[in-house]
Amino acid sequence: MSDAKPHRKRDIFVEGAIPPSFIGESIAKHASQTAIGGHEIFLGQVRADRIDGRTVEAIEYTAYRDMANEQMTIIREEAFARWPEITCLHVHHSLGTIRAGELCFMVFASAPHRQEAREAVTFVTDEVKKRLPIFGKEILGDGDHHWKANP
Amino acid sequence: MKVLLFGLIAEKANASELLVTAASTHALKRSLEVRIPGLEQLSYALAVDRVIVHEDRPLTGNEEVALLPPFAGG
Repeated sequence: MSDAKPHRKRDIFVEGAIPPSFIGESIAKHASQTAIGGHEIFLGQVRADRIDGRTVEAIEYTAYRDMANEQMTIIREEAFARWPEITCLHVHHSLGTIRAGELCFMVFASAPHRQEAREAVTFVTDEVKKRLPIFGKEILGDGDHHWKANP
Repeated sequence: MKVLLFGLIAEKANASELLVTAASTHALKRSLEVRIPGLEQLSYALAVDRVIVHEDRPLTGNEEVALLPPFAGG
């Protein structure tokens, strides 16, 4: 889509878990941007929660994809307005079945100095959890399931 | 109009979308609460054209409407 917005429409979703190697590749891609002085990264990992004595083995993520991507564009614009020094901001979230111990969420900000990168990552992480229509079905060991809800 | 259903609500309705006729968002909710067992007891949001609306708003039938159970991203 070609519009006048500084940050084009993009899809944050990836099928399956985020491989740890992807994080390394993301860091490597910034090597040529020498104005960057720091990267701040949040990685969400599926936790083996205990629910009524049963263990979460995986989370099956689904999303209202168009709305989530539109909300992400708004959150991204808010972050760039608050921390204009940010050089890059990358967000990815998994869809499908992600097993306990695998990565399902990445927020990656780069900036000349650490403070703005840190604050932006905290802000974006919190807002994604609050505002993106992403749904999580926790698959329990006994074959039952439980719908996750962020506080 | 077509109403998109997600997560727990899609599971309860046993469908990912439903066809509903309603002139307003509140009328739509009442109609869906009759059709989807247990919906009335759930905490959910209604989105019109991908934006959550709380107030009663007229619907023409051309909107993209969705029922959203609690979010669980991250």
